[in-house]
Amino acid sequence: MMELGKIFLLALLTNNIVIMRFLALCSYIGMTSDVGQSIGMGFAVTFVTVLATAATWPIYHYILVPLNLTFLQILIFILVIASLVQLVEFYLKKNVPGLYSAMGIYLPLITTNCAILAVTFENISFKYNFIQSIAYSVGVSLGYLLAMVLLAGIRERMKTSPVPKFLQGTPILFMATALIGIAFMGFSGLIK
Amino acid sequence: MIETILLTIGFSAVLAFFIGIALAFFSQKFKVERDPKIDEVRGALPGANCGACGFPGCDGYSEAVATGRAPTTKCSVGGSATAETLAKIMGIEGGAAEDRVAVLLCQGAVNKTVSKGQYSGIPTCRAAKLSTGSVKTCAWSCQGFGDCTKVCKFDALAMEEDGLPHVNYDNCTGCGLCVEECPQKILTLVPRTRVGSIVLCSNRSTVKASVIKTCKVGCIKCELCVKSCPEGAITMVNGIPVTDYAKCTSCGICVQKCPTKCYKMLETDVFGTKKEVPVMEEAQA
Repeated sequence: MMELGKIFLLALLTNNIVIMRFLALCSYIGMTSDVGQSIGMGFAVTFVTVLATAATWPIYHYILVPLNLTFLQILIFILVIASLVQLVEFYLKKNVPGLYSAMGIYLPLITTNCAILAVTFENISFKYNFIQSIAYSVGVSLGYLLAMVLLAGIRERMKTSPVPKFLQGTPILFMATALIGIAFMGFSGLIK
Repeated sequence: MIETILLTIGFSAVLAFFIGIALAFFSQKFKVERDPKIDEVRGALPGANCGACGFPGCDGYSEAVATGRAPTTKCSVGGSATAETLAKIMGIEGGAAEDRVAVLLCQGAVNKTVSKGQYSGIPTCRAAKLSTGSVKTCAWSCQGFGDCTKVCKFDALAMEEDGLPHVNYDNCTGCGLCVEECPQKILTLVPRTRVGSIVLCSNRSTVKASVIKTCKVGCIKCELCVKSCPEGAITMVNGIPVTDYAKCTSCGICVQKCPTKCYKMLETDVFGTKKEVPVMEEAQA
């Protein structure tokens, strides 16, 4: 149990996927103009990541390894992730149409969100077992959600702040992310 | 070797097959019932996405029409033809939209007016209006920097040599973007089918001498039109004569009497020609 908590916290804070490793920046910049939207996006990514882990881990260990087809993992994982995103899209269109129209192009783009693909690969390369993989994927995707909400909150304040003209738009967002990153370095001593 | 290739193909195909089946199942389970009328209405709209209807683009408007939240007559670009089609789709009566066009209520060409001086600031009407009040001595005049021509999406407005925007009534759809943009508010929407006289001047000054000094074609508040109209259709409102189109018979007396020729007949002088200059010669003759 301690082991699982350690994996979870490492993924959530110390090695935060966006802030410390600068993955998944496309949707991080694109979907954080509003806190509500960023939470919706965060949970959509969480759902897809956890399901993708639950689907890809058995496929890798019980099908690809025995058949000596491990070189296929990129292709197969992308296929699985894409179809899961499609599933989320169906669900949101039916039950949360507001979020569906707000997410626009970023919803299909979860398909190519590098955070999700990274998690599925790392579960393999870190040699996690199934339970550990799930804990890791939950940690990473909640870390993504945390980063999204943090930046969305900052952006709402930024709207009324006098940002110098040459920094307006994406540059100031990256600078804010870097500052959050410095703060997150404080977590590095948290887990030994 | 060949075994690996076959396994790869076989496994990918099997996996893709199962995922395909699952997705087909879920797409049925989470099917969203979408009103087919929305697509039908959307197909009938011109697709200019100008926003003149007050909705976010043609998609927003078609949804509002299909759910009955908006009247079918709001699309000024499509005009009455589109309104009729929409009414037919929705199965309701009275789809006749007013087909309107923009008319410039100013004839203050550069050679007809007096400018305050050399303006060398930002070359937009809005900036000129903000910094100088008006670049011409008439505070109600066209500033002549063509802000209206820049917002027109239908190529219906063009600045000409006289320093005024000219409306191409074949292209104008009456979307009203230029009317919104004009800082002087001297562009107005007039029904295309309207007949009668109209005063092409916006000067609200009631002091006669000031108008004569500033513009050769401005309304000098002589009220000859009001006095001469046999139908009593013209009244002075806020310093400008206004025609009551319910009474106007297009007799043309006001146009003849107007000493500065700022009264025009809509059907012949305004809509009948594209250029204003030959119109004035006709009126004088």
